[in-house]
Amino acid sequence: MHFRSRSRALSVFILVLIFSVFPSAETPARGAAAEITILHVNDTHGHILPLPERNRDGSPGSALIGGAANLAAMIEKERRANPSGTLLLSGGDMFQGTPISNVFRGRPVLEIMNELKFDAMAVGNHEFDWGRAALEKLSAAAAFPFLTANIRDSRGNVPKWAKQYIILRKNSLNIAVIGLTTTDTPISIKPGNVKGLIFSRPENVLPVLIREVRRKGADMVIVLSHLGLDADRELGAAVPGIQVIVGGHSHTAVFRPVTAGSAVVVQAKCCGEYLGVLRLKVDRKTGEVLSHTREGALLTVYSRPRDPADARIAGIVRGYDDLIRGEFSRAVGETSADLARSSRQESNIGNLVADAMRNAAGAQIAFQNSGGIRTDIPRGKITMEQVFTALPFDNYIVAIDLTGRRIMQILERNARADHGLLQVSGLRVAYDMRNEPGTRLAEVSLNGVPLDPERLYRVAVNDFLAAGGDGLAEFREGKNIEYGDDLREAVVRYLRDRSPVNPKIEGRINIIRQ
Amino acid sequence: MSDKDNIKVYVNGRPVKIYTGMQVKHALIASDESLYSQAVAGDIEIMDGDGFPIGMEGALREGSEIRTRRKK
Repeated sequence: MHFRSRSRALSVFILVLIFSVFPSAETPARGAAAEITILHVNDTHGHILPLPERNRDGSPGSALIGGAANLAAMIEKERRANPSGTLLLSGGDMFQGTPISNVFRGRPVLEIMNELKFDAMAVGNHEFDWGRAALEKLSAAAAFPFLTANIRDSRGNVPKWAKQYIILRKNSLNIAVIGLTTTDTPISIKPGNVKGLIFSRPENVLPVLIREVRRKGADMVIVLSHLGLDADRELGAAVPGIQVIVGGHSHTAVFRPVTAGSAVVVQAKCCGEYLGVLRLKVDRKTGEVLSHTREGALLTVYSRPRDPADARIAGIVRGYDDLIRGEFSRAVGETSADLARSSRQESNIGNLVADAMRNAAGAQIAFQNSGGIRTDIPRGKITMEQVFTALPFDNYIVAIDLTGRRIMQILERNARADHGLLQVSGLRVAYDMRNEPGTRLAEVSLNGVPLDPERLYRVAVNDFLAAGGDGLAEFREGKNIEYGDDLREAVVRYLRDRSPVNPKIEGRINIIRQ
Repeated sequence: MSDKDNIKVYVNGRPVKIYTGMQVKHALIASDESLYSQAVAGDIEIMDGDGFPIGMEGALREGSEIRTRRKK
């Protein structure tokens, strides 16, 4: 009897030991709190290759930061620390932004996200940059859901390429992840790409959905937001029942998580520079966050030789890097004339770029700043690389309505010659540089007719000029703004459609100097 | 100030009108082009109103605050 009692006691001891050393995925840890780790990135914008550190903050250090292979190694390390309680989330805007991703329409990023087993991604505004067909294709190829709860199609349905939410089971907690997209999307994206979609205010849709996921057994609610930090804070304060908001859109490096209402708000800047790591202790009964990371919620992704990198992801990146080099050396068009820049007079490459802009935007007039064109292109085949070298800035086309009076003010200001001369399409302009600044614009006409000061004209510019760049603040006085194509893509399309091109100096800008 | 086409943001406390949908870099250009050049060159840090670093392509909305600080 004594022996049997000792034996039973030993068995119990062994069982306790086994469960304490080898807890199963669904076995609650000791106590009432579940440990949850939320790994997050946002606004990667196609950055899968490392960048020199100075590109991030300007410091002259030689370290490389970012890069999907190193990010992957960090993710795996964090997962190993909490294998049954880790989520991997994206706050959106993952695909558009770098040549290696843009040329392949986001495929490299998606392949990496699939490999890393992301749990979900919020739909960002830039997910619409390549049109709905491209978005649908990406969504169909994704091994994780694209989430947005505040977009409906014209019939009032959730679009087929998205879900409103998912419910994940982690460390025996049911965790709802609800996606949200900025309501600025229709104005910040080419209008045709969001045609027929209805964007609702997040605070109007969220309470209903929170009740719904709670009814379905969710213990806690994460909002995966592409709204920006300020909007996330307002949302957390206005809508009860959110435990965590994982954000994006404002590219904010939230090193110290912010509290808004009951919600902990985080965001990991952009471009794959950081991995967000939010560790939570969550009450199993109430889903309440008992404690969370207070400092150091962002880990810098370093890509120095000594930093661990994931070989599989490195292989994917290398494969696409090789492909993009091939794409860059491929001809996209041909020119019969040497394309030469000038910042002091009309140039044929300026005419070509401005024509491509006007054509892409369907505008009457286009302006391109001379300083935005950085190299000449010799006659012959034109490669993608030459286009990128000539137009190195990540500009996009903006269409606005400007009055004839504003356009004349812009041209007059430009004739002060403190910046390069604007290259034009659609207009003919004459400057008399013998006159004092402010009185140099001699003539300006569209299709042979002098500009009417009171009439509105549709004008295409790049985003640098639209912000008032080159001291031309009048460009900020436009109306009916529409964001359009990436400038380089517009030029490539123009070349593909019309090659061989033969742009000439054709008297669009006449300058009387002496 | 906010209308369909424009928002007002603040760069180092100074109000700046930009088009709706524009980003941090556009606000810097609109405020003072030399600030934009310094940011591109990495001579200044860019932060939001709470001192969190923000990226040049970060989104803005009505009332957003941007602060710049010369790097040490």
